[in-house]
Amino acid sequence: MFSLLWLAPTLPLAGFLILATVGARLPRRVNTALGVGSVGLAALVSLLLAAAWAAAPPGAYTQTLWTWLHVGTFAPGITFYLDPLALVMLLVVTGVGFLIHVYAAWYMQDDPSIRRFFAYMNLFVAMMVVLVLADNLPLLYLGWEGVGLCSYLLIGFWYREPGNVKAAMKAFLITRIGDTALIIGLFLLFAQLGTVQIQALLAAAPGLTPAAATWAAALLLGGAVGKSAQLPLQTWLPDAMAGPTPVSALIHAATMVTAGVYLIARMHGIFTQAPGVMTAVAVIGAVTMLMAACSALAQRDLKRVLAYSTMSQVGMMFMALGVGAWTAAIFHFMTHAFFKALLFLGAGVVIHALGGEQDVTKMGGLRKTLPGVYWALLIGALSLAGFPFVTAGFYSKDAILYLSWTAARGAPWLWALGWFTAFLTAVYAFRMIFLVFHGPAVQAHPVRDARVSVPLGILAVLSVIGGFVLLPRVLGGFAPFAAFLRPVLPEPPQRDGGIFEVVLLAASAVASLGGIGVAYLLFARRRTTSPDAGLARFWRQGWGFDALYDRLVVHPYLWLAQECRHDVVDAFYHGLADVCLMLNGWLSALQNGRVRWYAGALVAGAVLLLALLVWR
Amino acid sequence: MTWADLPALYPMLIPAATAVLLLLTLTVRRDARLAAGVAMAGFIAGLLALAASAAELSHPVTMLLTVDRFAVVFWGILLFAGLLVSVFAVGYFRTLREPREEFYLLWLLAVVGAMVMAASAHFAAFFLGLELLSVSLYVLIAYPRMQSRAVEAGVKYLILAGASSAFVLFGMALTYAATGTLTFAELFTHLTLFPGDVLLLGGVVMILVGVGFKLALVPFHFWTPDVYEGAPLPVTAAVATVSKGAAFALLTRLLLGVIQAQPGHSTLAVIFTLLALASMIVGNLLALAQGNLKRLLAYSSIANMGYALTAFIAGGDAARVAIPYFFAGYIVAVLAAFGVMTQLSTPEHELQEVEDYRGLAWRYPWSAALLTVALLSLAGIPLTAGFLGKFFVLTAGMAAGRWTLVVTLVLTSGLGLYYYLRVITALYQAPLEGEQPTPPPLHLPHRLSVLTGLALAVLAALLLLLGVYPSPVLHLLAWP
Repeated sequence: MFSLLWLAPTLPLAGFLILATVGARLPRRVNTALGVGSVGLAALVSLLLAAAWAAAPPGAYTQTLWTWLHVGTFAPGITFYLDPLALVMLLVVTGVGFLIHVYAAWYMQDDPSIRRFFAYMNLFVAMMVVLVLADNLPLLYLGWEGVGLCSYLLIGFWYREPGNVKAAMKAFLITRIGDTALIIGLFLLFAQLGTVQIQALLAAAPGLTPAAATWAAALLLGGAVGKSAQLPLQTWLPDAMAGPTPVSALIHAATMVTAGVYLIARMHGIFTQAPGVMTAVAVIGAVTMLMAACSALAQRDLKRVLAYSTMSQVGMMFMALGVGAWTAAIFHFMTHAFFKALLFLGAGVVIHALGGEQDVTKMGGLRKTLPGVYWALLIGALSLAGFPFVTAGFYSKDAILYLSWTAARGAPWLWALGWFTAFLTAVYAFRMIFLVFHGPAVQAHPVRDARVSVPLGILAVLSVIGGFVLLPRVLGGFAPFAAFLRPVLPEPPQRDGGIFEVVLLAASAVASLGGIGVAYLLFARRRTTSPDAGLARFWRQGWGFDALYDRLVVHPYLWLAQECRHDVVDAFYHGLADVCLMLNGWLSALQNGRVRWYAGALVAGAVLLLALLVWR
Repeated sequence: MTWADLPALYPMLIPAATAVLLLLTLTVRRDARLAAGVAMAGFIAGLLALAASAAELSHPVTMLLTVDRFAVVFWGILLFAGLLVSVFAVGYFRTLREPREEFYLLWLLAVVGAMVMAASAHFAAFFLGLELLSVSLYVLIAYPRMQSRAVEAGVKYLILAGASSAFVLFGMALTYAATGTLTFAELFTHLTLFPGDVLLLGGVVMILVGVGFKLALVPFHFWTPDVYEGAPLPVTAAVATVSKGAAFALLTRLLLGVIQAQPGHSTLAVIFTLLALASMIVGNLLALAQGNLKRLLAYSSIANMGYALTAFIAGGDAARVAIPYFFAGYIVAVLAAFGVMTQLSTPEHELQEVEDYRGLAWRYPWSAALLTVALLSLAGIPLTAGFLGKFFVLTAGMAAGRWTLVVTLVLTSGLGLYYYLRVITALYQAPLEGEQPTPPPLHLPHRLSVLTGLALAVLAALLLLLGVYPSPVLHLLAWP
């Protein structure tokens, strides 16, 4: 059964190839069916793999298709590695990916470029699967760059709007900074440990010198920070909302932006050798989640609320990683994929129903026109807000908050930041719900389509029940998820919680309920609108990072580039080019087309070689 | 030779017999399509017969030929190139008013000559193969005989190749004088026993002049751009692939052992190093400002032969993989490039200038894409066949510590990137404003025949496959 593994990336890739090559000659319906079907089959394969795993866990399964190159110890194979961590990622990527594809079949149905859309989306899924299944660093990097490319292509999908192209370019360039750090990190690991195979690297990691481990971990963190939109490389994510909504749901919420989380969890053996970097991971995560939550509170654009929310939630996962709570981070990744995909898809329906309106302050009273979407978004928002005891978000968030204090690397102030973020999260989640669905009603077209209701329904169910796989100890401690991942991801050393665990659990519940209450007072009773000045404006613009980077990096760089237009370094290269062209001119002059001269050259060459022979 | 030896020779005998058959067919009925069909069938049958030869590996067939894995691999490459050139020729010559049938006859003979060279173990076989190939090529180059540029190229090639053959013959005579035999094996023994024998070395160098002429190594490269430019496109492809492949296979057969057995600073090694360095540098420099795509590919082939020579000089097991792999990648890329050019051209109007290809991607996206991949492969960009070929060459060079060659290869490849990318950017540029969008043949309602389309698709697949999935080919090349 496990030998089917290769199909998981190959099916979407085949979908991409067919759509890209012969798709133009096929009718639109066939193209759509191909695009959705290939990912559906991949999801089916993943489910079969999961079933086989449940029946007889092999520990880990490796499938080598072929070896690309073999030089010394550098032998990157096209090899897939399936272990519990990869299986969780694979299920989420293909499963949620499939639901989003089904939804996209509705969302994009009138778009003239639907073939291009599904081709990119399929390529994305294929690359994401390669990324999570990669057994070695070069293959992982292929997936990593592949998803980056698809992200770029899909953000700029409607390329006739210059703003979209700019947003795509911004996302590509900023993540590239992280990617550069990542590849240097990969080179460093290969140079230090002499292998590119991830499991071998992790086994050899304790042999790293502290300095090497710190550098390697820091460089990997650089890559993760760029891909996952964490400080200081976070500015691209809000602009990435320029892409179609299914793209935002799949790439910029559920899967690609969490690739950084996966990378750190996958390479945790390196990070545990570098305590300083671990602290940095926790601090970056904590600061990002708080700042992004504040920004989400001040946004008017529905999709940007969700974008900042994603940034904030991924920050929470980073904090979990930083304290060594690997399993909690992956748990939150999974529940977040469910409810954030749900929220994005619901938001897409709302925007569609309002004819493209994205400003939440101009919405209201939609629960009458869109009752189904109202319930779906309400469940998503409850899960995001961590509504106690019945939502998935509550359990995953609580697991992180609990460990951020009690884990050996945790600290009370990390917990405090997390708690406050959870409170803000509940406020902005319900600000959105109240502003969009309550209050005075606006005109909207009702939407009824199975391609919308089925994915939303499934994701809503998952957003609720997805949390009951890892319960805190005081609620029975039913935790098959942690047990499943334990062979890959160790539990962090932690202080004994005891009664303290109950207190923290209660505090989480208070944060969530309090936040919802505050939102009710501010936005349901009074419909407060944030002013376009002061702190709200500062937060809305993402803490002024864009302006800061413009001043600090972009303008000085452009100035420097202007100044260096005619410098000595250029003169060298121009000189080199001139010399080459001069030599080209001389040599070309010898190609004069005269047979006499050619025959003479032949003889001269022969004489030269014979002379050389005699001379020596 | 016994009857049992015969199956090993089938891949070569079948095209030869096909040539005779074709001659007889032509006496009954002149039909260009039929002739092409017969020739293609001959090549395909030859390719199929390779399986039989592969089973009968590594034994001398008479004292003239050796059918070992190396020969079989090169035969495969040569037959494949033979088949594709015939396919391209069908479309290309469709507008030629003169008889087209004899083209296929001559082409079969040329490939047989090349195959004899690739398997030869004796100077007689070598010279026979060389002349069979050369004489066929003289006629093929000048085949559209009403066109002065083709005739000019043919005559140039005739005179210069004749001169180089004279060198080869004289070299053989000297070798015979020194050793008293004409087998390659004896040459090897003598050179190992008496590495300083000037008479023998002189003979070898003379032969080298002839082989260097065929490979267009600097300073024997002058004919290349003129002949490439003047010859009809399918024949240019033939000169670039079959003729060079055969010559390099012969060189490997004749001297790889010698180079390996001799110390790294022996006179022969020095001569080869100089030829390789000069070819890489001069070839790439000449291509820089070239505006004619055929001439550009001619210069590029000079440089590529320099790269191949690097692996040859390095020797060792790495070279035994690198040389065939590099050639497979090179030949596929060149065939793809010329294939695209051929299907856009006719004998009367060839698209030669880079300018002619400006904006091709907007009209023929698939052709432009294939040409792009072919050029990227020649430039050695990863994920294409050319990258791995060059990679294996570099590995061989480094393993042998030939640092001068390796560094030159890397630096001159940088130059190469410039002129390949120059062509690629032209493909994707919008046509200049106010100008006729594309020259006449592109205006013609152009329909790709199924056969040509299939051939181009196979080439595209091979270019990528050889770049990402080398193991089956490497397995095939594991040279005993």
